[in-house]
Amino acid sequence: MNPFLAVVKKELWSVIRDRTILIAVLIQLFIASFSSGLLLGMLSLYDADTIMEYSGMAIKIGLVGPAGNPLETFMQQRKLQVIRFDSLNQAEAEFYKNTVNAIVVIPENIQNTAEIKLYLPNSDAVSSLIRMVVQEPLKQYENYLRAQNGIKVNYTDLKGKPSTSFEFIYSVLLPMLMFFPAFVAGSMTIDALTEEAESNTLQTLLSAPLTINAMIGAKIVAAVILSTLQCLTWLVLLWLNGIMVQRGGWILLLSVLVAGITSSAAALAAVLLKDRERSQFIYSLMLLAAAALSTLLDLSPIKTISRLAIGDAYTSGWNVAVFAVFLAGLYLLLTKMSRRLLR
Amino acid sequence: MNQILHIAWREISRLQKRFGGGGSPLAVLLLLAALGFSAYTLRDSVSLGNGLYRVGLSGAAETFTDSRFTLVSLSPEQGAALLEQKAIDVWIDGAQVHSREDDRSQFAVKALKQVLEKQELLRIGSSYTYDSAFPLRVGINYLSAPATGAQAAPTARPEEVIIPSLTPPPAPFTQVLVALLYIMPITFISIFFTSSFMDEKVNRRLTILLSAPVTPFQIILGKMLPYATFALFTTALIAWLTRGEVLLALAIFAPTTLFIFAIYLMVPLFYRSFKDTTFIAMLVTTLTTAYLVFPAMFTNTNELAYISPLALAVKMYRSEPFGWREYLFPSVPMAAIFGFAMYAGTRLLNEEFLMGYKPLTRKLTDAIYLMMAHLQPYLSVPLWSLLTIPGIYMTQVVLLAFATNLPLRVMLGATLLGAALVEEIIKSVGIVVLARHDQVKSIRELLALAFLSALGFLVGEKLLLLISINLVSQVRVSGALFGAGLFLLIPLVAHFSFTSLVTILHVRVKLPYPLAIALGSVVHFFYNYYVMRGGLQ
Repeated sequence: MNPFLAVVKKELWSVIRDRTILIAVLIQLFIASFSSGLLLGMLSLYDADTIMEYSGMAIKIGLVGPAGNPLETFMQQRKLQVIRFDSLNQAEAEFYKNTVNAIVVIPENIQNTAEIKLYLPNSDAVSSLIRMVVQEPLKQYENYLRAQNGIKVNYTDLKGKPSTSFEFIYSVLLPMLMFFPAFVAGSMTIDALTEEAESNTLQTLLSAPLTINAMIGAKIVAAVILSTLQCLTWLVLLWLNGIMVQRGGWILLLSVLVAGITSSAAALAAVLLKDRERSQFIYSLMLLAAAALSTLLDLSPIKTISRLAIGDAYTSGWNVAVFAVFLAGLYLLLTKMSRRLLR
Repeated sequence: MNQILHIAWREISRLQKRFGGGGSPLAVLLLLAALGFSAYTLRDSVSLGNGLYRVGLSGAAETFTDSRFTLVSLSPEQGAALLEQKAIDVWIDGAQVHSREDDRSQFAVKALKQVLEKQELLRIGSSYTYDSAFPLRVGINYLSAPATGAQAAPTARPEEVIIPSLTPPPAPFTQVLVALLYIMPITFISIFFTSSFMDEKVNRRLTILLSAPVTPFQIILGKMLPYATFALFTTALIAWLTRGEVLLALAIFAPTTLFIFAIYLMVPLFYRSFKDTTFIAMLVTTLTTAYLVFPAMFTNTNELAYISPLALAVKMYRSEPFGWREYLFPSVPMAAIFGFAMYAGTRLLNEEFLMGYKPLTRKLTDAIYLMMAHLQPYLSVPLWSLLTIPGIYMTQVVLLAFATNLPLRVMLGATLLGAALVEEIIKSVGIVVLARHDQVKSIRELLALAFLSALGFLVGEKLLLLISINLVSQVRVSGALFGAGLFLLIPLVAHFSFTSLVTILHVRVKLPYPLAIALGSVVHFFYNYYVMRGGLQ
């Protein structure tokens, strides 16, 4: 068999035999489910719209103050139940009977500024929930008072749909699933190279008809194959979950390129440093710095992948081609430096 | 003590040699500089949905900067056309905002609303007097429950006056992020601790060290000392830089540091190839980060948040007080796991175990056997069940986090089943391992050990409950998991019968262990389910 293919096969086989790849898949599954669980939790606790959807009708606000105050209407428009009382004492009595959850007191004769009172239960959980759902009516009331003062506030009638899930899926979840395998591929390349270097098996391996560049190349190819398989699995799983991903072909190509870049960069670190401890450390730092710098230069693969997935009109194969050029340059550099691993 | 210090010193000089020469310190500095520079430039712009929306501006519409939006200036005709072609998501024409009916455009509008609202506030605030720009004041008071019979109870806290448009509702998001700052360096440092062990294992210096007149305990402690000191130092530094209380931060994060080191101590003991280490370390990092961050997000909204020490840090940054119970609740399990890991480490740090190449499951059972073998089975089995309780408890919390993205009905069932599975494995694995080494044979012995294991488990569970009773007893799920509010006898009998079932099925009936565990867990699940149903009525 071709020695290049033999090395690729050996690398893939060792990963499958040790079942370590299962751990990697488990991690990604965990991060994905965990982060969407987190998002769901955050939404149900910190997003007023979502709270109203689930428990809005159950929140009852006691109101003390003159009739016809716009705040009452604003609260009712948000589907909060408003119950009127004549005095604070009455309202408090009902509050202690648990018939209302909070009390709003509006003074008589409001001119230009208003000072209202909000009475909340002394439990952090409930009071922060109520503060979140009354935030929007209070802001509307504030705008009403501003209008009374002759100040016009623009853009107050905007509605839209809650966008957090959309933003999360396309700017966090999808890039995470597509690039985490690339990160793992780099680590794997370092492990494969430094293990040979540290246990002095390189010379033996190279006594086969195999150049050092072909050997490194084979290890990179094995790592990229694994990461591509993972990406493919994630794309299929996302599709099964009903998450629309447009231009899947370009996305897959981009993730292959990024896996190539991380593995080549990792191999470069391994070639120069020759031990796992330092290589892995420098590699992680390189990735962090690269992620930050690419965002800074507006060349981030994360942004590119989100835009491809939502079908952005100004993002095309050319944006992917940039990364191919970068990979070619990096790989060329690696082939020039590779002999240092033997020293 | 001297020996520990000696090993610690040796560790420092090893690090110096490794990172001292060549280009690597320079590379580290350069990379850190690049990272710091980018982080500084991007400090305001990192948000969800980076670059997702495109907005067209025409007329008098003002530009704004937000990393989610890419802006283009265009003429009104172009704006209408591009919006129609879906090339832009929203078109702002002066004070008028145009959008399409489809989801993407509507999401953009919602996101835009927040940005424009902020922008309008800035405009109003700078062009009008403060009182007319912000005409509403809300005084927030908290009412505590009245004493029985008393009329109006006094308000619980002093009044807090807010301006609605300038005061976002309380969410511990940023504080959690700050608290997360503490975890990152600790994790990084402990990875070095791991590589140090691996390095010595690869070049066989550990073997020489083990033949020297020092105990494994001294070796582990000595090697850990420099890293742990450094980790505590960074904790203090971060607290000082972020204007937290240094001593309080140290008290909060010391158990966390020990916990993370304990977990990373296990990595070099179990790995067989370099790839193993990478994957195991990754798994450990994600699980611990999840365990620490997830609950802290719910500080002040759910009492269960206190299982993470980050919740305490969030409290610290909000200058809110917390008591001993809140402190001990996350710290005791972490410290206990550290103690357990140290014990396991001293038992496992021998050449035969370290160098053997076996499947991971075999290595695990070997490890359990090594930990139990030097004591009488009647002592080691209940001790094993008792001491692994904090680990079980943490695993179940992670399971709960896993389950939150399932539908509610499935979620509860999956958590209960997962919990039963973990408990059954822990209670039976010690006995099964002993049986494999032919230390236990007869049904009578199995039954006796199963009873002791159930007893140890129950004692540990109740001890843990004692710490947490005030904090989580209201939470129904944890009540079902830990069997709160029952006579001790019933759960003891229940645990005893499940464990006996599993061990007898495996050891005597020769059923494969996974199958025996599955059967035991299903029975256990129905018991849990029944208890919870009863608890609900």
